[in-house]
Amino acid sequence: MKLLFAAIAVVLAAAAFGTWWSYPDQQSEVPVIYWVTDRNPARDMQVELFHQWLVKNGYTVPGAEGKPEPAVRLRLDTANREVSKQVIQGVSGVAGDLLDIGSGTGMRYFQSIGLLRDVTDWGRQLKFDPSYTYAAIEPEITLDGRQYMFPCNVAVTMYWIHKGTFEKYGVPVPPKRWTFDQFEAIGKQLVEAANPPGQRRTVFFADGVVLELMYRSLGLGKFNETGTRCTLDDPRFVAVLERVYKWTYVDHLLPTAADRQGFDTQQGYGGPTLQLFNSGNFAMFYSGRYALIQLRKFKDPQGGPLALSVSEPPHGGFPSTTIATRAAGMYIGSPNPELARLFQAFLASEDYNMQIVRDADALPPIPQYAQTELFNRPPDHPNEWGCHEMFFNAAQDIAIGGDYSPFVLDTIANREVNRVHELFMNDMRSAKEAAAEVAQRVNAEIARSLQEQPKLRARYDQLVQQQKLIDQYKAQGKAIPLELVTSTFYRAYYRRTNQAAPETDENAP
Amino acid sequence: MISRRKQARNLILGLAFLTPNICGMLVFVVFPVLFAIMLAFTNWDLRLHNMWKPDAKLEFVGLGNFIRLIREGDFLRYFGNTLFLMMGIPFGIAASLGAAILLSKDTRGGGRRVYLWVCATFGLIVSVAMLTVVGMGGTGMAILMVGLAGVVVVLGLSGGVTAYRTLFYAPHFTAGVATYILWKKLYNPETGPINAGVRPVMDAATSAVNAMPPSALHLGLWLGFALIVLLLAWSLSKLRQMWSDGDAGSAALILPLILLLLPTVMAWVWSTTRGQALWLTAGVLAVILWQGVRVAGAGRDFPSRPSAGTGTSLMLALFVMVFQFVLLGLAAVAWNLPDLAARPGGLGSPTWLADYNWAKPAIMIMGFWGAIGSNNMLLYLAALTNVPEELYEAANIDGASRFQKFWHVTWPQLAPTTFFIAVMSTIGGLQGGFEMARVMTKGGPAGSTTTLAYFIYTEGFDTGRLSFASATAWALFLLVFSVTMFNWKFGNKYVNE
Repeated sequence: MKLLFAAIAVVLAAAAFGTWWSYPDQQSEVPVIYWVTDRNPARDMQVELFHQWLVKNGYTVPGAEGKPEPAVRLRLDTANREVSKQVIQGVSGVAGDLLDIGSGTGMRYFQSIGLLRDVTDWGRQLKFDPSYTYAAIEPEITLDGRQYMFPCNVAVTMYWIHKGTFEKYGVPVPPKRWTFDQFEAIGKQLVEAANPPGQRRTVFFADGVVLELMYRSLGLGKFNETGTRCTLDDPRFVAVLERVYKWTYVDHLLPTAADRQGFDTQQGYGGPTLQLFNSGNFAMFYSGRYALIQLRKFKDPQGGPLALSVSEPPHGGFPSTTIATRAAGMYIGSPNPELARLFQAFLASEDYNMQIVRDADALPPIPQYAQTELFNRPPDHPNEWGCHEMFFNAAQDIAIGGDYSPFVLDTIANREVNRVHELFMNDMRSAKEAAAEVAQRVNAEIARSLQEQPKLRARYDQLVQQQKLIDQYKAQGKAIPLELVTSTFYRAYYRRTNQAAPETDENAP
Repeated sequence: MISRRKQARNLILGLAFLTPNICGMLVFVVFPVLFAIMLAFTNWDLRLHNMWKPDAKLEFVGLGNFIRLIREGDFLRYFGNTLFLMMGIPFGIAASLGAAILLSKDTRGGGRRVYLWVCATFGLIVSVAMLTVVGMGGTGMAILMVGLAGVVVVLGLSGGVTAYRTLFYAPHFTAGVATYILWKKLYNPETGPINAGVRPVMDAATSAVNAMPPSALHLGLWLGFALIVLLLAWSLSKLRQMWSDGDAGSAALILPLILLLLPTVMAWVWSTTRGQALWLTAGVLAVILWQGVRVAGAGRDFPSRPSAGTGTSLMLALFVMVFQFVLLGLAAVAWNLPDLAARPGGLGSPTWLADYNWAKPAIMIMGFWGAIGSNNMLLYLAALTNVPEELYEAANIDGASRFQKFWHVTWPQLAPTTFFIAVMSTIGGLQGGFEMARVMTKGGPAGSTTTLAYFIYTEGFDTGRLSFASATAWALFLLVFSVTMFNWKFGNKYVNE
């Protein structure tokens, strides 16, 4: 028995050694950096491209027979994309060198924990600072004037339209820009034509709507102009909730949660929505340009590519859309920050950007590459012509980044909004009660943050004073000085609706 | 005789083999548990305190996190969800006992019966294939299900009870996530087999309900209330008898009485039953008054310690309370039936996981299914083999019926096992629900399936407030510990009685 135990111990020790030996770090003669990202076939190509870019730009070491080899090897880590895993690994000192992070929400959470390295100076030095990407994406990659990430791609949310579905039911294709009422009128026409009375409804106008876009289009932000108070206890939010309820349960333009579960399709990249769009169950769906990765694989009944069009989200007076990014941030504990920054510089390169253009993986991080012929009119996909520039134009004209408060995590605020939205849609709250409840709970979170982090208090008090001034300007019907406004949404809203004071400094604060 | 030196050598060798395990337990179990206690009394927030923020100091906040738990309401809300799901435990225990009794019988059949079943099953499978070929897939699927049932019967007839025991125990050794995904498919509102079965029933019920005057259906509510009152009267009568006989002390009856009144309180809280709750309250007060008069009139025959019989009376009250809640729910359904049936879609089939009100019962039903073929069933099977055969022989001689043999022989003999299962299930219920919530519903809709275990996870990792999550975990531990102490204090006595 003792010998058996001893033999097992030897085998385990050998297995441990074997595992250690198989690590890429041990196999490589140059340093290895890890990129925590999603499982996507395009990533392998991007890694290869990065290695080629390093050689092309002279970031090399002499290899076998004097041939230059990349100075660093990039390896993918697709098993640890989940936020909780990254946080645990991050605070334990063992996270990957480069972390894929979803927009400003993720960045603010990671930065608040202290996991991200400030790359502002490197950004300027290696030409990947925020000025190289879209202006609207700035709040998603910077915080308090410091840069923490650079986009791997940029996503603007629009409605993808299946022209074949509209033609099938004899309904005109929606306009590029439209109001809530137009959305409702066309939607009713389509669902009435597509769903025979007395039978299960299987065709819906759209997969859903984005609440935030709807209330923003009525001039309401999640927070006030300074992020010191949640303002969703507003009649405009109540109106949005009621309208969405009507579109879902009365007009049946949008599927209910049960309708969604009733569809069996679960497979495929991007989840069931794209499959249902292809099959004509959803005439439109919300997504970015990256949906083309999957849409290009679909065929219409005649075997040709899908006939596609793109429209902006419907609005209630102020057209806008969201802009988001999957961005690469550098882990503060990376043992090779000097090498990891090269990857962020690579994201701003022509090689990388043109690969994003060809793959249709959302918008390339650098806008100039989205103004090319290859982007606007990909030769192999004439059915998409006219769609691509819609995303680019929206990113430049109407896209607005996230609305963040420095006093509450966006994950918490969003959780509360989703919760009351579900309560309302399940008839557990009236729209008014839901709106009051979400504001009350988010404001309670703000109060809790101030109690837990006293150092926030000074800034909060200062912003409350600014808010009082803003409220005075509004009460008097005067233009708002933008230097008082910290909210990304309100800065864009006041500027575009000519409510901003002309002499204000547009870059402050 | 082993020499002292050899003894010491063996001891060292044994410890050497155990050391990795002990170290593992110290590092991965003991240390985290002790650390979590400390955390619960601090303000540790990942955003403020971690290895990248060396200057931040942990602060002792005393009972602050625990006070917040009570004050903010989320803990109580999700504790309520946990308790709701735990209401399925008595039914799960009863089902596992039923399964164990069935599986203790031999099902092996003679050669002719097996032959007939094999032929019938083969015929069904051929029919399925033919129907599918001619394009009647739906009917083919129905016959396939029947054919599957035939195969199961053949298995039992030829393989005996071992085949059934394996089948019944399957849910326990199947990976949880796979089971949950399967149930998500079963609960599909449109194409799931559950609703395929429920839909025709609901359509027929809609027609029947619409054909009846609403007042007739409203009688269901009054019937439910009457049964609640009757159950209360029966249980109070039992408790009074125990008190009178000295089996239960006065202090031991306080908590059971509160539990028995909870459904009445809930009738006032629920908007559906609030309008009629006055009548239920009147009935309940009448019963209490009547029992009070009897207590005052008859007095007490045998005095006892104030805490005597706490376990028995609490168990009785818990079981009755669960049934009262079920009746209250059914009464509310009966009251609302006419309105529900009058809607354009009629009663319709439930949308299960997509509906705030149905998501919890859906998860409870799934838990009930899992409980039938769980370790509880195995424990009951083992306990059934230990019931002395002479007791059944004596009962046979006395001319006892099957039910009488079960009630007067089997059930009392299973008391220790039942009590153990009840306590372990309660502990498991308090700690459970994490995987289900994460895989099936993400805790929704609107937090309706968020249990305490899932709440701890989301608080810890969505917000970084590890101290608050630790306090929640310790509050849960205190609840579990109370149940265990209850078992330790009253269990043996209950079992020996």
